[in-house]
Amino acid sequence: MDEIAAFLRTYPPFDQLPPEAAMLAAEHIQIEYFPAHHDVLTFGGPPAEFLYIVRKGMVDFVREEEGEVLVFDSLGPGEAFGYPSLIRRRSPIVTVRTRTEVLAYLLPAEIFYHLQAEYPLFASYFAASALHRLTSAVRSRHQTAEPSLFQTRLQELISHPLIAIRPDATVREAAQLMRDHNVSCLLVNLPPYEIYDQNSGIITDRDLRNRVLAAGLPDSTPLRQVMTTPVVSLPATALAFEAMLLMLERHIHHLPVTRDGVVVGMVTHTDILRRQSNSPLFLPRQLQRAHSLEELRSYGDQVTAAVGALLDAGVRVSDIGRVVAVAHDALIQRILRDVETELGPPPAPYAWLVLGSEGRYEQTLRTDQDNALIYADEHPPDAPEYFRVLAETVVERLVACGFPRCRGNVMASNPQWRQPLSVWQATFAHWIDVPDEEALLRSGIFFDFRQIHGTLYAEGGLRPIITRARGNKIFLGRLARAALRNPAPLNLFRNVVLERRGDQKNLIDLKHRGTAMVVDLARIFALEAGCIDTSTVGRLRRSWPAASIGETEAESLVSAFELLSLLRLRHQRAQIERGEEPTNLIVYTDLSPLEQRELKESLQAIARVQRGIATVYQTGRIAG
Amino acid sequence: MRLPWQRKRAVPELVRAYEVGPWPDGRSYWRDVRYVVLDVETSGLDARRDALLAVGLVEIEQARVRLDRRWYSLIRPPAGLLVEASSIRIHGLMRADLADAPPIDAVLPELLERLAQRVLVVHVARIDVGFLNQALDLSYGTRLHGPILDTARLAATLHQNAQLLGQVSRDMPVPAIQLRALAIQYNLPVYPQHDALNDALTTAQLFLAQATHLEHQGIRTLRALLRAGGVQSR
Repeated sequence: MDEIAAFLRTYPPFDQLPPEAAMLAAEHIQIEYFPAHHDVLTFGGPPAEFLYIVRKGMVDFVREEEGEVLVFDSLGPGEAFGYPSLIRRRSPIVTVRTRTEVLAYLLPAEIFYHLQAEYPLFASYFAASALHRLTSAVRSRHQTAEPSLFQTRLQELISHPLIAIRPDATVREAAQLMRDHNVSCLLVNLPPYEIYDQNSGIITDRDLRNRVLAAGLPDSTPLRQVMTTPVVSLPATALAFEAMLLMLERHIHHLPVTRDGVVVGMVTHTDILRRQSNSPLFLPRQLQRAHSLEELRSYGDQVTAAVGALLDAGVRVSDIGRVVAVAHDALIQRILRDVETELGPPPAPYAWLVLGSEGRYEQTLRTDQDNALIYADEHPPDAPEYFRVLAETVVERLVACGFPRCRGNVMASNPQWRQPLSVWQATFAHWIDVPDEEALLRSGIFFDFRQIHGTLYAEGGLRPIITRARGNKIFLGRLARAALRNPAPLNLFRNVVLERRGDQKNLIDLKHRGTAMVVDLARIFALEAGCIDTSTVGRLRRSWPAASIGETEAESLVSAFELLSLLRLRHQRAQIERGEEPTNLIVYTDLSPLEQRELKESLQAIARVQRGIATVYQTGRIAG
Repeated sequence: MRLPWQRKRAVPELVRAYEVGPWPDGRSYWRDVRYVVLDVETSGLDARRDALLAVGLVEIEQARVRLDRRWYSLIRPPAGLLVEASSIRIHGLMRADLADAPPIDAVLPELLERLAQRVLVVHVARIDVGFLNQALDLSYGTRLHGPILDTARLAATLHQNAQLLGQVSRDMPVPAIQLRALAIQYNLPVYPQHDALNDALTTAQLFLAQATHLEHQGIRTLRALLRAGGVQSR
């Protein structure tokens, strides 16, 4: 039951429901299994008695005109249908036909009406979507719901069976196997599928053409000679968008998908294009084509514009953060590669790190750059000079692309943050061993690092130092005390404490008295648990089993974080549209009553966790 | 077989009500039949020595799994029963969870009410049916009465059919039998395992998928389904 409620809450509009309402829905679900090519709802037929939610498989919206079947929309897992008919209590306006076998969750009409009446956000989603569906039904085909690529995880796209073959098999055997299974790609390997191994790879029908036939190799050539290795892969939880980007970057069409390091399936270019939407996906291609700094800058602008579209489409802020990170990473990588080409190959392995909110996948607008550079301890004497020029040039170009310099000068162009690995290791260790104010401040930025370019493996060099903080009560205690210096703004009656600035009153700072509090708490829990995730939501979800927080509280912090981020992002976007500088201050009384209540509940959840942390570390301050 | 007057004690009305059925008609279209899909957790594998620790079930009506009619109960094992450490590892039921649970005698009446007049569906029926019969015999001197379908047997039949049609490769002589493996084979979600209710739910979805596939092969009635995957209650 929990699993079904959790599934529902992953997708709009059920993500708008409080947990108890999602649970109520889950408890009344009926589950039905439909064969492929089966009409679930029929145009002009009896009205829908349920809201249908696809759990597995795909359905098409079809219209039959003059004997021709026109598919004008498709839905996949997590998406719902049947509501226009439910809301109007009339015949369906389209025929909904299963494309594959489909397992669907059916929410009975009376529960649907109840949720609609109780939860305005839930209701308004359907009202808006119903209108959207109607207009798209009138328009023509290929109107897939826009957010899908940013919400679809690769595991939902795996449609091809995984066929493996031994590395010593011949290309002819591979071709026969492809023919027999009607696939265009084989995994060259022996189970268990250790794809990180040198002896494994993939072979595609294009490889057979380009590397075997065109090269005039005999059909007895062993696969190991012509396969692609090492294999580029992504975890099953990665977003379809990330896969798309990777494929475009590497000019590949097949991507093995892994779970816990084991290949579980193959996703092709076409699988993803099938979910193609007309929106921000063209971005990566544009990045590839960009020839000048001007064009790169306009790419940055479009990422920002895409954020607005995603926000309108009801995508979760944490997913928007991932999309933006993927897009910005691609931009920075492109600039780094350009500069490497201009300067010549790097004299030693190095790593380019992004820090702070960028490192946590939480950058939603173009904010100040926070970056750093690490290079190998063993380097020729001219390496420091090379990396100085590289860092300064990259930082300069990022400024030109609309990422202002960091006011605290946390940038790779600052020699302090451009060091050999051993210096970085000593610095990180020092921050943990001597946790003074400076160290606490720095750890909040640098421990949230993420490597986005370079062949030096920073994770392996630095993360073990950070995980040493686990069990270091002094460091964690200081960190906890620093986090509690900023308590949730609630008074004794658990009401929201508002601020006044100049002639403006009823203000609340959604960053410093909002998201930042959750970020700090999540970092502490991650350090306690030795969790290597850098995103706040990931840290909360992954570290609670080994940290001083329970699962329920961790989930409540996740919800609080999502809500605070959403309110903040919406506010900033409105400011940008009005031509103002984005701020974190909102007027509490401008929020709807529902939002006010949710904000208050979020702050109460934060206060609860802060009180828990205060007890654990006996910081002598009771927050909230 | 024990004759009615040899029963251990007077038979409560609810047992008699259970025994008389009526049971679903074999000629019915399978989608019109009511099913109850059940899974149990036990302290071990020997029905005579080990005890039932939990039972979970969901109903299927009009070929739809009804979560609103799910039912789950822990069962307090008899005092002194040794719950094997290995089985604790599987289902995670600790003695403390079970101490406050109702004893089997308090659970059976509601269970019988829910099983009455429905086809029982179980994955690898032998174990669950053995335990239920043992409990029913001890408490009421009765046993399971209605038709029983085994999703593991249905899987075997579907596998055989697929082999006949040449849809599986020769080097896969036996079908998968684990619930999880079968669910994945049909692209069904797998709910967290080794909880009687979740496993019953996974089994129910598997059953719908299997019956839908069998219907394609011409198996439409309950009787035909029972031929494909029915088991005797004893």
